[in-house]
Amino acid sequence: MKIRALLGCSAATLMLVGGAHAAEKTLTIGVADALTGGAAVYGLPQANSVEMAADEINAAGGIAVGDDTYMLDVIVYDDKANPTEATNAVRKLIDRDGVRYILGFCCSGATGAVASFIEYEDAVMLVGNAAERSITTQGISNLVRTRPPADYTGAAAGAFVAKQGHKRIAVLGALETSFYASYVEAFEEEFKKSGGEVIAHEVFASKDRDMSPQLTKIREMQPDALLVVGYVEPAAFAYRQATELGMDVPRYGFTSGSEEQFLRVASSEQMEGVWDLRPTELTLQSTTDAGLAYHANYSERFGDAPSPSSPYAYDQAWALKHAIEAAGSVEDTEAVAAALRELEVFPEAVMQYLPVEGKMFDQNGQAYTANGAFQWQEGHWVFVEELPSDQEAYSRFLSTVN
Amino acid sequence: MPRKQIFLLIALAAFIALPQLISVKYYLHLSILALIWVIMAQGQNLIQGYTGYVSIVQAGFMGIGAYSTALMGSHFGLPVTLTIILAPLVTAVFALATGYPSLRVKGHCFAIVTLAFNMVIFIVLLNFTALTNGEAGITGIPKPGYGRGAWIDFHDRQVYYYFVLIVAVAMTALAALIVRSRIGQILLAIRQNEDLVASVGVASWKYKLFAFVVSAMFAGLAGALYAHYQSFINPEIFSVAQSLDAILAVIIGGSGTLTGPVIGAFIVVFLPEYLRFADSFRLILYGLILVLATIFMPRGIVGLARDIASRLGAR
Repeated sequence: MKIRALLGCSAATLMLVGGAHAAEKTLTIGVADALTGGAAVYGLPQANSVEMAADEINAAGGIAVGDDTYMLDVIVYDDKANPTEATNAVRKLIDRDGVRYILGFCCSGATGAVASFIEYEDAVMLVGNAAERSITTQGISNLVRTRPPADYTGAAAGAFVAKQGHKRIAVLGALETSFYASYVEAFEEEFKKSGGEVIAHEVFASKDRDMSPQLTKIREMQPDALLVVGYVEPAAFAYRQATELGMDVPRYGFTSGSEEQFLRVASSEQMEGVWDLRPTELTLQSTTDAGLAYHANYSERFGDAPSPSSPYAYDQAWALKHAIEAAGSVEDTEAVAAALRELEVFPEAVMQYLPVEGKMFDQNGQAYTANGAFQWQEGHWVFVEELPSDQEAYSRFLSTVN
Repeated sequence: MPRKQIFLLIALAAFIALPQLISVKYYLHLSILALIWVIMAQGQNLIQGYTGYVSIVQAGFMGIGAYSTALMGSHFGLPVTLTIILAPLVTAVFALATGYPSLRVKGHCFAIVTLAFNMVIFIVLLNFTALTNGEAGITGIPKPGYGRGAWIDFHDRQVYYYFVLIVAVAMTALAALIVRSRIGQILLAIRQNEDLVASVGVASWKYKLFAFVVSAMFAGLAGALYAHYQSFINPEIFSVAQSLDAILAVIIGGSGTLTGPVIGAFIVVFLPEYLRFADSFRLILYGLILVLATIFMPRGIVGLARDIASRLGAR
């Protein structure tokens, strides 16, 4: 009896002493992303990767703030890439769930809606895959984005295609989606500098699956090459139907789709030789050890390979951890937002960020990765070469855009 | 005091007290959206419920109202209050242009023609990027009033709630006025038997056009209020899917009644949010509830409530 009482007292004393040194608390973070609908190919992997990052951060001891340690808890809401839904989801996270840090955001329309009011909230917004340039041109101090804008990549892609010796290129894509349009605009500007000409701008909607009318028209124009920009699925149909129509021209694209996503629609033979000109993102041949570990862990946990753009959200979670630790507070969102802008690229980052003045995010809250040329070779995306990208110059340009 | 008036006063008192009763601001946000939907649904009810023409362009007109108020403010520097007043008038011009050819056909054909107009509006909003900024949308749409910290600060959601409540009550009163006027009686007659109306020498097309244009003006006003509340608009929210929601709001609440659209609007806004617990089954559940409601409550919630009240009264 005495021994039991002694053990009990010792345990209680240990708990008290431990509690005085480091209280373990929970920090709830939110994710608003497209979990259903056409954009779920980007949104769902992003939401998954935030949950995975949160578990990894917790397993590594959580977020240390003073004497406290915070374990992350993640609430995920579907915004269906719809502006009203996104607004509702974020309002719910902030107002009802008391969340201060909101991650995810794969798609520009929904992200733009939230960005329009987030600066007045006691919250920090970390944007992932949404590539519309205007998201980081509004001077919103509590917003950062891990993915570079589409036109930053488009310019590099235009220079690369021109270097291949093509003079007449036809564009087929989701040109009514603004960030694809801005990619093509920047592409065209660079392409023209080398004497090239874009001879067609054919459009498909994100729900279209039959591009043969546009491709037939393009085939008659006899271009040197084809550029396809759009969501993975319609782009895969475009590549497939181009081969079915007997078009034997080099095919370039901007899709950021994984091998698995493309192979659901097109065969490897139909994809052979296709180029994807995009931020380097996650492709095994070009990635670091952190990227390889991310790929392996994600595949094991979710039974599916991660999409190339999903680490934008994974990196958000780690960036947030480091910023909170640097700010020394979870309550002071202004300090955390400021700490994000002072953050250097951290070792857990999966994407290969190009720092601006030594920082991961520039003064606009924008991060930059290298751009790469990837080619489909025997069933896989193969990293061929890095595209010339001047993040410092682009950052200066971005600061001048209203 | 008649029982109906007592009910209206209680409902109004409840709406006035609502912000004080809500502890989570998120529900105030949803209530503002629902009140905006009340205005839109009252307009839809005029053409659908009272005139008997199912129009599938209400969200398109809402888009015209939203974009016109935003663009008039940014391009001409007009004050927000003025652009909100002008937005329904701009919408009316478009409604006149589309209503005249649309109303030459009846029934399903009218529905299909209006659906096509909604698609045209959507495509124009998406592709006329020089004016609308396309899919990226328009950001930073200002609130009415004199900015943050002013005596009446429209950035405060409670203030905006009361602002929208006043407009919604005024528009519901206007709808009641129209319905109870001679015009309203003719609209009802058109719904019952349009050929008979024509046979007694009434130019029914004028009344139908009136209902269509006024319905569009309600939507235009709702769009303007939405734009200034959200400070952001893009074409996504003015698609055919939203027009179908407006039809559903009228059907579920009670077609051809003034209370119906109010109830329907709140259901259309709140129900999908309450079903979030169902995760990816949310939309299936939402669809199922709507289908069952339409089958088992063809006269909507108001119709059902009246049936129950009359049965209780008979006892």
